[in-house]
Amino acid sequence: MKDVRKKTIPLLVAVMVCLPFMGCNVARVTLNTTLTPESVAFIVPGKTTLSDVVTKLGAPDTITDADSGVVATYRFLDMKYSRVNLGWLAKPWTPVDPDLIFSRTGLGVDEFQVFCNPNWVVVQQGFQRSVTRPPFHPYPF
Amino acid sequence: MKVAHYFLGFVIAGLLLQGCAFSRGTLGDDVKTEVVTAIQKGTTTKTEVVNLLGAPDRLLQLNGRDVFHYYRYDAKAGSLLLILLNFTRLSVKSDDVFIILNREGIVEEVISSKRTDNLGFRFWPFGE
Repeated sequence: MKDVRKKTIPLLVAVMVCLPFMGCNVARVTLNTTLTPESVAFIVPGKTTLSDVVTKLGAPDTITDADSGVVATYRFLDMKYSRVNLGWLAKPWTPVDPDLIFSRTGLGVDEFQVFCNPNWVVVQQGFQRSVTRPPFHPYPF
Repeated sequence: MKVAHYFLGFVIAGLLLQGCAFSRGTLGDDVKTEVVTAIQKGTTTKTEVVNLLGAPDRLLQLNGRDVFHYYRYDAKAGSLLLILLNFTRLSVKSDDVFIILNREGIVEEVISSKRTDNLGFRFWPFGE
């Protein structure tokens, strides 16, 4: 009897641990490397040139014309999606295929813009939105 | 005996890879580094740039100067489909080359980066 209990308890614990993950989907989409204020801290307006920025961060996604010079834009995206189908919990006991889905998507889209004068010296820089990174949690409420 | 080992290895590899999915998508032509390095500031002309890289994907105007923009996108997706629990990760990176030409049609500046070189298939969506 003790042997059976010894074998059953770990199995039961494993099933209990796995149950919350049943029917879970976790997905992530990233576009280019996410830039942070720390990764662009080397830029000193009035001193740093666009070449210095390109050496550290790579080529921008777009360069556009502005009245005072040019604007180099770095775009990046960090999208997180998670979904849990709690209907899976009822599947063993019902003849139908029940669904109770909670899902949530977080879009961390941002741009980093570098304004340069006609001599390619950075005069201003900044993030467009300064979004915080979205978390992974499927609870939508 | 050796055949049995190979077969066993094949079965184990098959079991480990079941439920895995690899997908890839690209947009644009590969911009070769050696071609970009052949473009010299102050000497290469607009015609030579077009001969080397083809027509640009975008043509911009900056302070009266022409800018040729060449780009390529590479997307790699890895999925781990464990029936009850699925993980997917899609990574997209781009290679960009900007060639700035002066009013005489001579290359003034070349800005390029190849981000897709270290783009790999990833499955784990957490962390960096």
